[in-house]
Amino acid sequence: MSTGLITELNKLNSLERVAKELHTKVQYSTRKELSPYVEGDDTVVKLLNENAKLKHRLAIINQAIADEKKNMSPETDSDNTLLIMDHLEKIFSAAIAEAYPLYSKTPVIIAAVNNVSAKFGDYQCNNAMGLAKKMKEAGISISPRDIATEIKRCCPASPLIDKIEVAGAGFVNVFLSKQHAVSALTTMLRDGISPPNVPKKRILVDFSSPNIAKQMHVGHLRSTIIGESICRLLEFLQHDVLRINHLGDWGTQFGMLIAHLEDRFPNFINESPPIGDLQAFYKESKKRFDDDEHFKKRAYQHVVTLQAGDPKSIKAWQLICDVSRQEFQKIYNRLDVTIEERGESFYQSRMLSVVEFLRSKNLLEHDDGREIMWPNVNKTGIPLTIVKSDGGFTYDTSDMAAIRHRIEEECVNWIIYVVDSGQSTHFNSIFEAAQRCGIANPNEHRIDHVQFGVVLGEDGKKFKTRSGDTVKLSDLLDEGMKCSLKQLQDRGRDQILTPQELSDAQESVAYGCIKYADLCHNRISDYVFSFEKMLDDRGNTAVYLLYTYSRICSIARSSGEDFSNPAKILDAFNIVLDHEKEWKLAKTLLKFFDIIIKCSSGLYLHFLCEFCYEVCTAFTEFYDSCYCIEKDKTGKIVKVNHSRILLCEATAAVLRQCFKILGLKPVAKI
Amino acid sequence: MAGEDLIVQFQQLGMSEQKAKETLKNANVTKNLQLALAETKLPLPDGAGMLLYHMASKLKPQIAGQLPLLVKYIVERKLDNTQRVDAALEYLLKLGQKKNATVDVAELERECGVGVVVTPEEIERIVQQKIKGSYKEILLEQRYHFNSFKIMQEVRNELKWADAKSLKSAIDVEIFDLLGPKTEADLKPLPKQTDKQPKANAKTEVKAAAATETDGANTIAELMKTKVHFHAPGENYKTDGYVVTEHTEQLLRDHLKATGGRVQTRFPPEPNGILHIGHAKAININFGYAAAHDGACYLRYDDTNPEKEEEKFFIAIREMVEWLGYKPCKITYSSDNFQQLYDWAVVLIKKNLAYVCHQKADELKGFNPPPSPWRERPIEESLILFEDMRRGKIDEGAATLRLKLTLEEGKVDPVAYRIKFIAHHRTGAAWCIYPTYDYTHCLCDSIEQITHSLCTKEFQSRRSSYYWLCNALNIYCPVQWEYGRLNMNYALVSKRKIAKLITEHIVHDWDDPRLFTLTALRRRGFPAEAINNFCAQMGVTGAQISVDPAMLEAAVRDVLNVSAPRRLIVLEPLKVTISNYPHKAAVELEVPNFPQNPELGTHKITLDRVLYIERSDFKEEPEKGYRRLSPQQSVGLRHAGLVISVEQVVRDPVTGDIVELICSSKSAEEAEKPKAFVQWVSQPIQLEVRLYEQLFKHKNPEDPNEVPGGFLSDISADSMSVLCAYADRSLKGVKVYDKFQFERIGFFSVDPDTNGSHIVFNRTVGLKEDAGKK
Repeated sequence: MSTGLITELNKLNSLERVAKELHTKVQYSTRKELSPYVEGDDTVVKLLNENAKLKHRLAIINQAIADEKKNMSPETDSDNTLLIMDHLEKIFSAAIAEAYPLYSKTPVIIAAVNNVSAKFGDYQCNNAMGLAKKMKEAGISISPRDIATEIKRCCPASPLIDKIEVAGAGFVNVFLSKQHAVSALTTMLRDGISPPNVPKKRILVDFSSPNIAKQMHVGHLRSTIIGESICRLLEFLQHDVLRINHLGDWGTQFGMLIAHLEDRFPNFINESPPIGDLQAFYKESKKRFDDDEHFKKRAYQHVVTLQAGDPKSIKAWQLICDVSRQEFQKIYNRLDVTIEERGESFYQSRMLSVVEFLRSKNLLEHDDGREIMWPNVNKTGIPLTIVKSDGGFTYDTSDMAAIRHRIEEECVNWIIYVVDSGQSTHFNSIFEAAQRCGIANPNEHRIDHVQFGVVLGEDGKKFKTRSGDTVKLSDLLDEGMKCSLKQLQDRGRDQILTPQELSDAQESVAYGCIKYADLCHNRISDYVFSFEKMLDDRGNTAVYLLYTYSRICSIARSSGEDFSNPAKILDAFNIVLDHEKEWKLAKTLLKFFDIIIKCSSGLYLHFLCEFCYEVCTAFTEFYDSCYCIEKDKTGKIVKVNHSRILLCEATAAVLRQCFKILGLKPVAKI
Repeated sequence: MAGEDLIVQFQQLGMSEQKAKETLKNANVTKNLQLALAETKLPLPDGAGMLLYHMASKLKPQIAGQLPLLVKYIVERKLDNTQRVDAALEYLLKLGQKKNATVDVAELERECGVGVVVTPEEIERIVQQKIKGSYKEILLEQRYHFNSFKIMQEVRNELKWADAKSLKSAIDVEIFDLLGPKTEADLKPLPKQTDKQPKANAKTEVKAAAATETDGANTIAELMKTKVHFHAPGENYKTDGYVVTEHTEQLLRDHLKATGGRVQTRFPPEPNGILHIGHAKAININFGYAAAHDGACYLRYDDTNPEKEEEKFFIAIREMVEWLGYKPCKITYSSDNFQQLYDWAVVLIKKNLAYVCHQKADELKGFNPPPSPWRERPIEESLILFEDMRRGKIDEGAATLRLKLTLEEGKVDPVAYRIKFIAHHRTGAAWCIYPTYDYTHCLCDSIEQITHSLCTKEFQSRRSSYYWLCNALNIYCPVQWEYGRLNMNYALVSKRKIAKLITEHIVHDWDDPRLFTLTALRRRGFPAEAINNFCAQMGVTGAQISVDPAMLEAAVRDVLNVSAPRRLIVLEPLKVTISNYPHKAAVELEVPNFPQNPELGTHKITLDRVLYIERSDFKEEPEKGYRRLSPQQSVGLRHAGLVISVEQVVRDPVTGDIVELICSSKSAEEAEKPKAFVQWVSQPIQLEVRLYEQLFKHKNPEDPNEVPGGFLSDISADSMSVLCAYADRSLKGVKVYDKFQFERIGFFSVDPDTNGSHIVFNRTVGLKEDAGKK
């Protein structure tokens, strides 16, 4: 009996266990929770885990965003005493609001006073005249001078301001506080130059954008130089910047290139064809394309196979792109440009979906076999061709796909296109269309077309080689290197500098002057390309700035003391701004932050170039009238003026930061 | 210096050759002695040599620099006995609390009683005073069994620098005066004491001698009071390897102020699994040490790894601690300190003692991982990246925070923080960086003002990083003490592997009595007290101990023997009908719970005409030496006062199996004394009885050398069997975990599966060690 009972009991036990398991399974499946019984399906478990992780990360990031927003509260913003203009605007806005509440919305007019007339203060508020006029219109008659006096009375106290005076017809003159300047410069030297606080954005800068299989020319040069500097400027302000190279890698030209490649190098799949000179190759195929009908047909066929993703065509396309890419990269390396490639081909699938998207919104209209889209409801301007009559896409399509990707997938809130002025109509249409179809929202997205003029030759005509060809960028850079070396040799620097120092100086000058010549003019105007002018060591040129910078560096070096750690010196010595030229230099340096804001708001870099020049001029004045190091007749150092050398170091630090943005590489010896 | 030369020199110090050779084996003492010899010239004044040896063997590394001073004082006979040398060592050690403290010679001499002379007359006077005073009575009563050490100590209190030898002989003389020569009774050892004496040091010498033979003790309290020699709170600097900084003195002072000098320990399990027998040792040491010194012990859940933590583990851990009889002074969580730990990490980065590294976990595996290319990155950069880590900006595995520190074992720059996008059961979505054990452990100890951070030997190599971290942050640094791990043979404690046993249906659950988790042991019926005593027997030495379950079972028997009441049960019943049943009807018999100790109560059992005995207690064809029931041999019924003899064997007509015995009975007084008494039951109730055997065939089922097929291939076929046993009705109302001795069978405990009328018993252990085997 007992053995039978035991087996029965054991059976019952295991049945109970099974029942329990089933019961839990049922519970889990009805609760739809992560159940241990899906263990068998690894992918489900994996995905569930991944999902949990992503959710957790999202919560963490949302928390971080909330914290950051809290930290960006307006109080901290208004604490930003680095921005003098901004600060003064706030002060006077408050003063006007208090003095004349009816006119509290009046925009404040602040101007930096030309340095010559130091007795008129450093900044002026010029609102009194305008207010007087407005009040007169309203039937109130008060003299501008009285208004100015009232504004002055109402100004809240500020650590930046030493005194305020009313002068002339009704100017309110502001004198900056030296004490504040000393503390600002001290912070600068101790902690380095920190950017002014601005709301952080995610920004995409679309620049350079050469075409595959074609050489980069001077037109690309401008976009590359300006784009790079804009990125650096925005990055300095701690924005999140995406640098995007919208390569032309998907046009119809690839059909003929692939067809030609097939003929010339039938074995290209297995053996990389030696196409060193892609331009020649391009020209050859273009000639055949124009002359040979049969070839032309084949070329068109290849466009179709490529866009359909045929492996052989793709391989050929990749080979061609790689050749170009290597060439481009050489240029970028020489110019110290960082950029991420995202060519038109990247948008192939997105072009399909953007067409669908526009169709679904009923924004596409049939027009003579094409599908077009009007950028605005009024149907003015030039319509965008979204689908060609043969079903193909155009630049309009890829630009619409790109802008949609940037806003919807990259989640940027500021897009900057650095493209020549000739394309402004096209881009305006794209921007309008993006708004019309709801991709872009003007309240959330800022979109800028940073235009620039053409490069002219010294003859005032479009920049060309003597034979009339467009100038190849690599040749231009080579030429710059040559000129810069010659100039250094003329000055006898090759005798003084070591070979390494000389070659550093040569590069610094060559690439520096090409970039600076481009950046120092208002970008909208055309500019004349002249090595002679850009290598001049007088006036607002890179060479002048670089020379001045190296002179500043040499001062601390020749003092016989170690100024590499200014914080240490500051422990023992204070900055003193007693001399008029010291004070002027200090005030100039403190404008830096205002200038940065000014540059970034309009995306104009020539303000920064002008500022550099102003700094260098102020420095030269200072250096001419203030001894930093006193020596006796034997050349022995008698006295080191630490405060002044610290001022030199501050100047060097400001210039270094400007150079960094402008892409100039300072060298200590030149 | 060659070994031979050293032996000669050591002998000149006054050592025997044997002793000199032994000393040579101890590298530390040898080194100290060599240094001492270099400081002086042989020959030395009488006795100074052995004092040098004494000093060399007790010199701690913290005060090694003071060796020349000590040698000078010993040679000059200013320190002329071990007592003074010990005092000097103690003084210098205390001085070591302050970094770079200078020795105040006058104070040193005062502390050591240099120049103090105690005359024999003085000794005699004080000894007489003591013996004729407070000790006279007890001496007359206990005579030479009295431990005279106590008198010696008391005299010492008054004459600190009295010479030990003179003191001892003075006491002996005085006692002899009082008691006269030893009688025969004085020479006999005392009968074993049953009850513990209230004062530990009043124990007989015999007992004391027996106890010193092992490292263990009978109970945890005894172990912690007599066998464990940790530092006193606040004297951290006196321990080996403790690192003294310029802040140590102040920090220790603050620490003492915060704790009031109380001993504070902690039991810090990770809440990611079930506690097992190994944890019982940790629980006992931490809680036991605190309890023995009127201190406090925290239960700290070391919940820094969110991946594996589940609520149920928290509850189970606490339940087991309480089951073992301990009450945490407070329950804490490492995660409570996440913010503080993070803030400290930032401090370390700022001090350039930590950096953010991007080496992948894979790269850091193996013996010689490449050094981190990010080690020297700017502090600023690490600060920003660490903040980015915290804010979820960096992918899991793409960055860690590492400490600039090399561990003893050679591991370079241990990781302090890693990214895990996993919610924490306590902090929720607040964190995605979690601190590692290495980083968290010592800091939490410091926060909780732990005096003794007790851990297993594996962590010895982490001790220096422990001290380094506390000192790097200028916070109170506890002392880490290590003890050997306790491993149980034939047991499996890995959480993952137990889970496998469960999913493979080899065992039923985490508390299956064949396992060695604490819940399993409780279910099997092991008393907590027995587990604690077992741990006490293992001691707190540095050696890793592997023991067979039999050791633990023996401890269980010791406890159950005096605590589990006896009952009569038959596991495989055979029906017996008594043809001449002497009573009219069923009768109730009063039976003692503990037959050897009748005053511990009784219970009632029923005797009737029909009863059941164990099937194995009857044999038709008995072998030689068989003592129980057979057709030719009668047997006594335990507690019934009857002896039965077989009259007829009734068989199943079909199978031929024996189904019943018809027996005649005689009262025990009338009958010839039977060779044996067996257990029986009448009018029984049914019990389910579960018998357990060792689960694994080999000692180390996880060891691939012993068990090449893996632990799953090592399962014994019948590790559990279920019987339907008969028991007296007195067992009807049992409660879960009630424990009994089923007479002649073993110790049994009521299983939690019991409900209402269905009673389930587990066999805890057999009556004898071999009962459970084969």
